[in-house]
Amino acid sequence: MIMVIGGAHQGKREYAKEMYPDIEWIDGKECKEQEIFKCEGIYGFHEYIAGRMREGADLDGFPERLYVKNPDIVIVTNEIGYGIVPADAFQREYRETTGRICTKLAARAEEVHRVICGIGTRIK
Amino acid sequence: MLHLITGGSGSGKSSYAEERMLYISGQTRNQEEKDPCVYLATMKPYGKEALMKIERHRKLRASKGFVTVECYKELDRIRLPKNSGILLECMSNLGANELYGEDGTLKNRHKTAKKILKGIDHILKQTENLVIVTNEVSSEDKDYSEEILEYIYLIGEVNQELACMADKVTEVVYGIPVPVKG
Repeated sequence: MIMVIGGAHQGKREYAKEMYPDIEWIDGKECKEQEIFKCEGIYGFHEYIAGRMREGADLDGFPERLYVKNPDIVIVTNEIGYGIVPADAFQREYRETTGRICTKLAARAEEVHRVICGIGTRIK
Repeated sequence: MLHLITGGSGSGKSSYAEERMLYISGQTRNQEEKDPCVYLATMKPYGKEALMKIERHRKLRASKGFVTVECYKELDRIRLPKNSGILLECMSNLGANELYGEDGTLKNRHKTAKKILKGIDHILKQTENLVIVTNEVSSEDKDYSEEILEYIYLIGEVNQELACMADKVTEVVYGIPVPVKG
């Protein structure tokens, strides 16, 4: 498992595509729930989480399931916890959930890259 | 030793901070009797979400031997028990508790920052090892009110001062400690 993380519009996707030019990607904003377990790469992973939460899906154990079923996946995700705690309850939960899921995945990932201003740094 | 630990929400700052605290204070290395580490909690236990968060943190540090002391503000007056280290969690709650009055009034940001830093100096006189957890709250640009902007500036000001004083600064990114200083 490889993770590419960073703030919005930092060039994460371009960075990941340069690292892995030959894999097929799905978009977390549009893909179906099960697609993530079979795809080679996903961008907009945070949108995938938001989508599942809106559907009321149970995300307990999701990072573990993902790691077991798709251990070679490349995940591109926004880091979303760097602002003020949102006033909206859903946004608060989404932000916390995304952080917890990504922390669990990062613990299992072979590599974690962080992209700032288009420049990636391997932090794990 | 002063270690400042920062990061985004849900990034694993707390569990990293606890590990570091026990390590720095020698709790994990030494069998001999030592004074316990103090967990200095600054979050007000009001509301369902706060209570859930507090409960999650309690579970996280259960069996690690911390003595919990709650103090929501005015750290410059606190008397702490004898200890081998203090873990203050967290600056973002303390900042809000100090900046906003009970009646909702907004206090002066610079004075508030000074008061907080005076509190930290006061704590440093009562311990050999202090670990402070803070937050990154400024990387979004929304249509914030003056009250919120003042808070963002306060945390920025305090974080910078603390980082100057600190021997070590670490940003925790999804559980991965990224060294910033020391």
